[in-house]
Amino acid sequence: MTGLRLPPEAGPETPGADESAARDGFADPQRTAPAGRGPAGPRLGVAGWLRWGWRHLTSMRTALVLLFLLAAGSVPGSLLPQEGTNPAGVSQYYAAHPLLASILGRFSLFNVFGAPWFAAIYLLLFASLLGCVLPRTLRLAGSARQPPPKAPRNLSRLPFAVSYRTALAPEAALQAAATVLSGRRFRLRTGPGWVSAEKGYLREAGNLLFHIALLGCLVSIGLGGLFGYRANRLLVAGTSFSNTVTALDEFHPGRLVSPGDLQPFTVTLDRFSASYVTSGPLTGQPSSFTAAIRYSDTPQGPAHRYALTVNHPLIVDGVRVFLIGHGYAPVFRVTDGTGHVVFAGPVPFIPVETSGLTSEGAIKVPDAKPEQLGFAGLFLPTAVDASGRLASAFPAPLRPMVSLISYAGDLGMSSGPPQSVYSLNTAGLRRLPIAPQPLAPGQSMKLPGGRGTLTYTGYQQWASLAITYDPGQLPALISGIAVLAGLLLSFLVRRRRVFVRAQPAGQAGDQPPGPPGEPGGTVVDLAGLTRSDAAGGFEDEFSGLAAEIRTLYQGSPDPHPPDGE
Amino acid sequence: MPVNTGLADVSNDFLLAAVVIYALAMLAYACDFAFGRQPARVAGTAPAPALVGAGPAEAGAVTGAPAQAAAEVGAGAGTQAGAPAGAAGGGGSAGPAGRDRAGRGTVGRWVTIAVALTFAGLAAHTAGVVLRGVSVHRLPWGDMYEFVTALTCVAVAFFLAVMIRYRAYYLGLFVMVAVVLVLGLAETVIYTPAGPLVPALQSYWLAIHVTAMTLATGVFFVAAVIGITYLFVDRHARRVAAGRPAGSDGILRRLPGPETLDRLAYRTVVFGFPIWTFGVMAGAIWADRAWGSYWSWDPTETWAFITWVVYACFLHARATAGWRGRRAAFIQLAGFGCVLFNVLVVSLAVPGLHSYAGLT
Repeated sequence: MTGLRLPPEAGPETPGADESAARDGFADPQRTAPAGRGPAGPRLGVAGWLRWGWRHLTSMRTALVLLFLLAAGSVPGSLLPQEGTNPAGVSQYYAAHPLLASILGRFSLFNVFGAPWFAAIYLLLFASLLGCVLPRTLRLAGSARQPPPKAPRNLSRLPFAVSYRTALAPEAALQAAATVLSGRRFRLRTGPGWVSAEKGYLREAGNLLFHIALLGCLVSIGLGGLFGYRANRLLVAGTSFSNTVTALDEFHPGRLVSPGDLQPFTVTLDRFSASYVTSGPLTGQPSSFTAAIRYSDTPQGPAHRYALTVNHPLIVDGVRVFLIGHGYAPVFRVTDGTGHVVFAGPVPFIPVETSGLTSEGAIKVPDAKPEQLGFAGLFLPTAVDASGRLASAFPAPLRPMVSLISYAGDLGMSSGPPQSVYSLNTAGLRRLPIAPQPLAPGQSMKLPGGRGTLTYTGYQQWASLAITYDPGQLPALISGIAVLAGLLLSFLVRRRRVFVRAQPAGQAGDQPPGPPGEPGGTVVDLAGLTRSDAAGGFEDEFSGLAAEIRTLYQGSPDPHPPDGE
Repeated sequence: MPVNTGLADVSNDFLLAAVVIYALAMLAYACDFAFGRQPARVAGTAPAPALVGAGPAEAGAVTGAPAQAAAEVGAGAGTQAGAPAGAAGGGGSAGPAGRDRAGRGTVGRWVTIAVALTFAGLAAHTAGVVLRGVSVHRLPWGDMYEFVTALTCVAVAFFLAVMIRYRAYYLGLFVMVAVVLVLGLAETVIYTPAGPLVPALQSYWLAIHVTAMTLATGVFFVAAVIGITYLFVDRHARRVAAGRPAGSDGILRRLPGPETLDRLAYRTVVFGFPIWTFGVMAGAIWADRAWGSYWSWDPTETWAFITWVVYACFLHARATAGWRGRRAAFIQLAGFGCVLFNVLVVSLAVPGLHSYAGLT
């Protein structure tokens, strides 16, 4: 039996002692019972130990501890930078605290949600959950086929009880109560002098659905992790890319994804536009971003236009493309010492702050002669002089200027670890003796020592796109809805039993101190019991029921007047 | 559309007025504790009055049938609406109904004043929140300040509903203290001038996700206040049971028993938990629409998850031997601690996708 623990023959256990716990939404007597009965004798054997372990694992206490561990284990994942969401933060942390970081890294604390110990917690939790839920499903199936138990002898001891006196005969009184109860869709069982009724089997069903749907969520997430992928691509206005591994800046495939599985669409960014609040205290806060793009499903397919905005992804071939960032790409032309144009084009700079979109970036000119050239600097959309320092006062390009530091030497691009395109590795470089000076579009900077000229010709905007494919998405949504439905069922539905006993007034053992009525007639006891009234409200239902039955006893003209006993 | 700064100023005035009125209501609830009549908490010894329905004579007159009337006797449960206060104790055999609805009919003068003030404060509070929304042409929970004003508004409305349904006037003082503190902090420390939404928030999922989170936070707020009250009452009750000096118990004597508070806190969490679940799921759907991944372990997401797990712990703990009562109450408060940590620390200080929720 689940939920209610009324032994069929004996009277009800005294309400109050265990009642409040068992009435709760998640109470399950099998589960709350500690698993202490496991090891019976001194010799357990493998099977005995397994059974003992399984009992412990599926006990509520273990589940609670595992839940706590799950919560506690998530904490470092939110406070430390994580490889999945913030890889730059992780490398910064390693640079700032090398020893601490290596210790933390050994415990996967920079990748908590992919860590083996985290997986161990949630897998154990779900094993515990399964071990609890599956037997309960079977029990529920069993109990739904069984009739309600017999009415206990002394109904006034139940938490809800009223007593009536009626002129109806006991059988007629019982029949009337049974009509009301079955009208309210209770399941009935009748016996000599009593009726018992039960309702609310959906509560356990909801509880099971909730727990099974949680498993469904986990499976869906796993599905996405195996067959889905995430990718990023920064796209300067006027350029395009196709969805292939080499064209993507970042590519995080699922375990079972190969490069050939990528859907071969192409995207061109025509224009990126942003608008900002121009007055008042929130000046500079962005108010809209739009990327005007063209895309085609296949490399040769027809092109479609689309206005990509935040919250409105492009869906192409089951893959979704999101606008997740934007910035400026100043355009440079570099002429080297030999007079050749060795670099021309936009260079994406990365915003380092949001109120003025001051951006940092690097220009690498590996083909310059006699030596390689490198420039690191700032792009200031609205350059102002902030007490002798150059700063950007507004995110829109009202006075777009750059300020660069010039280097010459070895960029280190031909050897060593791969480096970021947004910063210079200055190890093999030396700074050229030229002070950084702000350049306006069209202005040039002559490099000392006959190394050539850099011209800042203008700027483009760039948009960064996230490309995601997740086949677990729909299952996750369905599981989520099922989680919620199960939760609501288990909280809103209450499993309750109502018992009615009727006997001739003279035989009633404990005659209620009723109003002076005629002797004779019938004493009807009505009692209710609920163990799972999470949301409350059984008292109202019970009093409504009691009132309805009372009206029947008073009001209905009885075609067969009771025989005087 | 431009921000209507005139309306935004009126909204601020209303919210300031709400803080003042709530403070007055708080004083009135305190006055009830200090000067009000003792409630009938010892009335359990009185016999439960019979709940006589229609009398025999009346029924007979209507139906014309002889003596077909039924007399109904409340067997301690006080199930009928309108049961007088004396039925509340029920001589120890009272069902949950009787205990939850203790104190029915004993509304003192101070309580009447306090409840009226609470309603007035809520009216000003609601007007402030609504006008803020009108002034910026959107739902008024787009930044931290708006979120806090809206969630306290929900908390007060929910508290009034709980208080009236369960006659829990004793909660007023504690809820009002918390509301005045939080709303006062919102007005002074985290005030943000009215403005449009950043693009990341321009989605109808803002209405769904943040509304659900606001509602759930408001409900958990009330649950936490009940939980703290429970801990004090429980400590007092255990001291009395142990025969130790219980100290000054002026207020505690006027509060209901720990079981009532425990059940009330549980029901409040039961109300808030599905809303929180829904809010987290709506957030996941929104994240899926906005960022391309329905769950990316962003710090704010992670803390919403931790909060969910801790409240799930609470719900399970109440059904586990050895964890009921104090331990469960502490877990519930830890859950609200997670909510607060998420709102006050994570979204303001930890960088993540939800950073726009904070101040710049």
